[in-house]
Amino acid sequence: MHELKIAEDLSVIVLDAAKEAELGKVTKVNITFGQMIQIVPDIFEFAFRECVMGTIAENAEINIVIKKVRMKCRGCGKDFHVTENRFVCDNCRSTDLEIISGKELFIKSIEGE
Amino acid sequence: MEIKIMKNILDRNQNKANEVRTLLAAKKVIMVNIISSPGAGKTTLLERTLEEIGSKYRIGVIEGDITTDRDARRLQRFNIPIVVINTEGGCHLDSHSISKVLDSFSLDALDVIFVENVGNLICPSQFDLGETIKLAVVSTAEGDDKPGKYPMLFREARAVLLNKTDLIPYTNFKLESFKTDLRNINASVPLLEISCTKGDGLKEWFKWIEGQIEDTTI
Repeated sequence: MHELKIAEDLSVIVLDAAKEAELGKVTKVNITFGQMIQIVPDIFEFAFRECVMGTIAENAEINIVIKKVRMKCRGCGKDFHVTENRFVCDNCRSTDLEIISGKELFIKSIEGE
Repeated sequence: MEIKIMKNILDRNQNKANEVRTLLAAKKVIMVNIISSPGAGKTTLLERTLEEIGSKYRIGVIEGDITTDRDARRLQRFNIPIVVINTEGGCHLDSHSISKVLDSFSLDALDVIFVENVGNLICPSQFDLGETIKLAVVSTAEGDDKPGKYPMLFREARAVLLNKTDLIPYTNFKLESFKTDLRNINASVPLLEISCTKGDGLKEWFKWIEGQIEDTTI
C-alpha cells in the first residue's frame, strides 16, 4: 500500500518537471526501486495511473528498474550482493556493512514531446 | 526528448523528516517510532512503559490510527499529552503529519515522544518521520518468519522486541529459527524477549529504553 503514497509524490515530480520543460505530453517515466523497498510494480503502476489520470502523463510508459541489495564490507572492503537475506560479508564474515544499493526510490528521468 | 531529474521520489518526506530531527535534537527530545503488525502489542507495550517510567520522564504520545481513537483512549489514564493522527485509510504516518502535530506539544516540557505507527511492517519502514530511533515489535503469534519477510524494518530497527513470549508453547513459533533469521539480517541489533501481559523481560526493556532516553536528553 505504500505504493500509493510513493506514486502520488512521483506524479507531482513528473508533472512539475514536464511543465518546466514545456512538454505537451509525457511518454515515459524512468524510475529505479531498490529491492528492500518491496514495491510491487503492478500495484505501483496502477497507483501511478490513478494519480495522473486526465493529465499530460496519463499515457506514459512506466519503466521500473529493480536494484538488488548490494553491501560493502567495512572490514575487508569487498562489495557483494545480498542473497537470502544474509547480511554477512561473503569474504571475511564481518557483519559491519554499509549499503551501496537496494534502497533506491529514485526518479532518473522523464521522456516526452 | 529526455529530461534528467535524478532525485529521490520521497524527497519531500525526507526534507521534512530532517527538519523534525533537527528540531527534536535542539529540544533534546527523543522520538521513538514504534513499528509492528496490527495486534503485536504496541499499545500494551506503551501502557506497561508509561506505568514504569511515566513519573520519571516527561512523555508525550502520537497515536497513528487508521480511523479510531481507541488506542489513545487506553492511554488517557496517564494524563500525558496524546495526539491522534487518523490516516483515513493510509497505511503509515509520514513526516508532514508528524511535523504538524508537533506544534500541539510543548517540546521544552518533554523528554520523550513515543509514536505508535499504523500497524504494518512494510510501509512505515519506508517513511522517515524524523524519529531518533525505530523500534520493531513482533509477536510470537505472528510466526517466526517475519524478519525474513520484512528485512528492511529489521535491518533499520535500533532494537527488536519479541512480544507474547508466554504464548510460545501454544504456537508453532520457533525461537531459534527467528533468531537465526534476525541475526542474518542484523547481527548486532538488541533482541528483547518480552511478555507485556505477564511481565517477562520487561525489566530489560525498561533498562534499555531508559538508557536511550538518558543518552538523548542529557
